[in-house]
Amino acid sequence: MGVVTGSSGTEPLLEHLFRHQAGRMVARLTRLLGPAHVGLAEDTVQEAMVRALQTWPYQGVPQNAAGWLFRVAHNIAIDVVRRDRIFGEKTDHLIADLTRSSVVSPEDPGLDGQFRDDELRMIVMCCHPELSRDASVALSLKTIGGFSVREIARAFLAEEATIAQRLVRAKRQIRERHLTLDMPGGPDLTRRLDSVLDVIYLMFNEGYSAHEGESLIRQDLCLEALRLGRLVAASSIAAPRVHALVALMALQAARLPARVDEAGEVVLLDDQDRARWDQGLIGLGFHHFERSMVGEEVSAYHVQAAIAATHARATEPRSVDWPLILHLYDQLMAIEPTPVVALNRAVTVSKVRGPAEALALVEPLELDPTLDHYHLLLAVRGQLLLELARSAEAAACFRRALACACSEPERRFLQRRLAQCGAER
Amino acid sequence: MSQFMLLLYDDPTTWAKVSPEDMQKAIEKYRAWTTKPFTRDSKRLADDPGRVIRSQGGRPRATDGPYSETKEVLGGYYTIEAANYDEAVKLALDHPHLEYGGTIEVRQLWGS
Repeated sequence: MGVVTGSSGTEPLLEHLFRHQAGRMVARLTRLLGPAHVGLAEDTVQEAMVRALQTWPYQGVPQNAAGWLFRVAHNIAIDVVRRDRIFGEKTDHLIADLTRSSVVSPEDPGLDGQFRDDELRMIVMCCHPELSRDASVALSLKTIGGFSVREIARAFLAEEATIAQRLVRAKRQIRERHLTLDMPGGPDLTRRLDSVLDVIYLMFNEGYSAHEGESLIRQDLCLEALRLGRLVAASSIAAPRVHALVALMALQAARLPARVDEAGEVVLLDDQDRARWDQGLIGLGFHHFERSMVGEEVSAYHVQAAIAATHARATEPRSVDWPLILHLYDQLMAIEPTPVVALNRAVTVSKVRGPAEALALVEPLELDPTLDHYHLLLAVRGQLLLELARSAEAAACFRRALACACSEPERRFLQRRLAQCGAER
Repeated sequence: MSQFMLLLYDDPTTWAKVSPEDMQKAIEKYRAWTTKPFTRDSKRLADDPGRVIRSQGGRPRATDGPYSETKEVLGGYYTIEAANYDEAVKLALDHPHLEYGGTIEVRQLWGS
């Protein structure tokens, strides 16, 4: 009798086991086969998972599921290396390496460091400054993240073909530019680390910023960015700004459950039910925030994490320390004087000094070409006008915002604001 | 109660682009079905075309099995208990194999 008895039991597999093991196995196999063969590593891992899918429903899930996948993936790789002879005279050597590696159990806690090292090297290579940021995000998600092309496309609201092409191009660049899995050192380290952090934060924002699309996959994206951030933070290349980024992501991710209400409507920060914030993530955020304070360095991540921490510290909307947040935005403007930061600063000014002063800061931003047709700018302006009881002008702003590209929940939010202007008569 | 065999055919290329996350979900679904009380046995067939032995001119000859050519292969089987064909089909209808594009052939075991 197969599955009915034995180890299959009824216990579910560890959540995301396949996704996480896929990432680990691709990192390990890429290290053994070489970065030029990352595609082969991916195919091999996919094949191992298909075999699990074909056999486990009948024979039951093996006791050490991760170890099973790991061994089968190695065996498939050994077969390919032997059969295709693409590795020439390195073949025997490689088969010996793969054979040695195949008997290692990924669940052995003593080997955790080795796997983390594989993954770390992989993320550092995927985020190489020679690759475009978009390509780095997609490649990181596909290789170490264990996401499929379709999932990445869904998260980016992009066509599958676009993402597939981006990945093909990135892998070709890895081959052509001979990118390696070597850890950067010396003067190169700062530049490489900044690139890694950029990509991780971009990945996070991709998941965090839009209310549109399938919320689950977007949340997964945020959590994957957080996982990668923690991986770097725990490594030898960590710096205070890595901890600052992890703090920032954890404190923001903590609000994910409260950002949408049961009806799927947008809930602004002030109106969020703080009981729904994830306390585990807030704790993690503060832990890394403290660790980020070592040394003199003050990066944009530090300041943004401090802003997120100030929000997290407030037990209710009324107790938010807005003057402190304004001070932090002044600091952020000094480091990163972008129009979006200026817009967020203006919102803070309205809390501290009232809507009239904030409006005076927002109006010139409309001339900035990067904020042209930016619905949030118009929404902020409309809100300030509404607070100043200039309803007709506010309504005009919300109407213009509605004409911009925005998601359905955001559209409904803007419509509710527009109705408040009494303009729907 | 009679015994029925469910023969599961699938197209092995179905899974080439499925994400690890979705493959794990599929396994959980298959497994949930497999552990139902009416299941008596289940086996996976090896992943190869197999061999077919035929007698040609009085001499038996083995050749590669039928699955070297066709798209759908017989991947495995279950033995289940059911009162009759109607019930057997009804039990098989919510098998996740169908959701993932596979085919199920239902056959009663003789004399059971």
